[in-house]
Amino acid sequence: MRRKKVSQYTEEFEAPKSQRRLSVSSVLVHIALILLALIVISPLIIPFFFTFKTPLEFAYNPWGLPEKLRWSNFEQAWKMVRIGEGLRNSLQVCIGAVLFTVPPAAMAGYIFAFYRSKVTNVLFYVVMAGFFVPVHMVLIPLYQFSTKIGITNTFPGVFLPIAAFGIPFWTIIYRSFYSGLPKDMVEAGRIDGAGHFTVFMRIIFPMAKPATVLAVLLSFMGGWSDFIIGLIMLSSQSKFTMQLRISQFIGNLGANYFPQYAAGVIISSLPTIILYLIFHKYIIQGTTLAGAIKG
Amino acid sequence: MAVAQTAKRKKKRDWYRLGFIALFLLPALAILGTFMFYPIKETFRLSFMRSSGFGEEIYVGWRNYQRIFASPEFRQGFVNVFKWAFWSVAIQIPLAFFIAFTCVNFRTRIIGRLRGVYYLSNVLPSAITAMLGVFIFSPTSGVIKTFAKTTGWKWLESIDWLGNPKLAFWSLFALATWAYMGFGIIYLMANIEQIPTEIREAALIDGATQWQYAWRVVIPYVSYAIRVQAILATVGSIKLFDLPYMVTLGGPRNATVTLGITLYREAFLNWQYGRGAAIGVVIFLICLVITIFQFSFVNDHSATDQSI
Repeated sequence: MRRKKVSQYTEEFEAPKSQRRLSVSSVLVHIALILLALIVISPLIIPFFFTFKTPLEFAYNPWGLPEKLRWSNFEQAWKMVRIGEGLRNSLQVCIGAVLFTVPPAAMAGYIFAFYRSKVTNVLFYVVMAGFFVPVHMVLIPLYQFSTKIGITNTFPGVFLPIAAFGIPFWTIIYRSFYSGLPKDMVEAGRIDGAGHFTVFMRIIFPMAKPATVLAVLLSFMGGWSDFIIGLIMLSSQSKFTMQLRISQFIGNLGANYFPQYAAGVIISSLPTIILYLIFHKYIIQGTTLAGAIKG
Repeated sequence: MAVAQTAKRKKKRDWYRLGFIALFLLPALAILGTFMFYPIKETFRLSFMRSSGFGEEIYVGWRNYQRIFASPEFRQGFVNVFKWAFWSVAIQIPLAFFIAFTCVNFRTRIIGRLRGVYYLSNVLPSAITAMLGVFIFSPTSGVIKTFAKTTGWKWLESIDWLGNPKLAFWSLFALATWAYMGFGIIYLMANIEQIPTEIREAALIDGATQWQYAWRVVIPYVSYAIRVQAILATVGSIKLFDLPYMVTLGGPRNATVTLGITLYREAFLNWQYGRGAAIGVVIFLICLVITIFQFSFVNDHSATDQSI
């Protein structure tokens, strides 16, 4: 409270002076930041220059405005990536990843926060250790025993390992979130005769909604972005996720069809960009959390 | 009698409580056990076996490790990931710090709008980043090639960004910088924003320039966050797989091969599970050493916190 007051006061007092003094560097900083932002955004904008053109038009006038808006490149790219199927497959993987990451993590976090004992503490460290395991360490046996139990080339074969790599992080988050909740809530519930399960379902889990929103969204994104687990687990084309489809598209479609390639870029990046535009606050929040935990 | 009864009831309640704990831990532990801890143990075991996944497994001792360390491909991958880690720390972190610092300290409307942009590339899945990389660097009609053709700059047109072994590494590195820097920016921004405004006001009133303020106040203040960033960039480099795999497949002439790619090739193209597992163990151990190193300066962190 006090801090805010002081800074408000000094800002009013200082602002004009510091602005005058910093004008040159301020302009330079603006130029640098705008340039950098342009570099970041341009690969996502340049495709629009190319994508409406025929190969001939592209060859002679790549940068100019297209003669007219041709959507045929989009149609062909859509068919080549078979994006409808890819989206459907990815969606199943994402939903599976969310269902098998969030509830187990929410439950385990509850135990680790409210039922502390020597045993649960040790188990918590075991779970936490999982956060630092590189995925490469498990790929081969994962493939081997998945073949044995018959889940290769199925979606559970993809989302269960993804969940395993998400659970440690979200367990840590849930545990620290629950730990911040007032302990009286639980005790009050218990005195009123609610069982362990009821306290969790009726009191604790609803209160952890902010954590749950983050967990659902980011595990969804985790499933969406996965490449390596899908790569080793899925073998038939019809099961390929978006990312596998895209990587195939990169290999298949050479530069001869560049306007189509540009269309492919636009189509494939669009779902993620839309997700980002809607949820960027949560996504950034979750990322900051991840940094804080890793630190 | 009554005492015994309450004791009995209490015992029953304890069992109920234990059962509840077990039930609630079960899903997480079952998934982790099956899909993480069991495979880790198996990878250790397999790394001492000769196995193709189909026939029988033969114990070969340290032979797999000897083999991989003798293989030029693996050595190249080893060199590449550490080179990658070095340059990530040397280039990405200063750049991320510059952006984070200026975004926090020059609060104008334009910059406020830009903040969200820097992070966008970080949420794109690696497949799309790879796709954009090919789009830009493609040798026949990538964006740079097209640009060179229109301007008529022959020197630019003749550069083969992905096919030249000396250049391919840097083309990929530029792409990765583009893709992964957003995280560093966001993380550093969050840390810089925690600096109390009084400190900034005090420094500026005392006549410090922005540069001095950044160098003398902000960097010491967020030094822990910067070190965490360095560790994360290093671990990320060791684990690098997606981008080089999709853009260059580790080529040309292994110029962009990484440890992850050698693992994939050994295990899933040559079907040498033992050697692949040995590479997995090497990656795991490197990450473990770095993580332990990281935890060893946690105490340092609390010390700086107290001094400020």
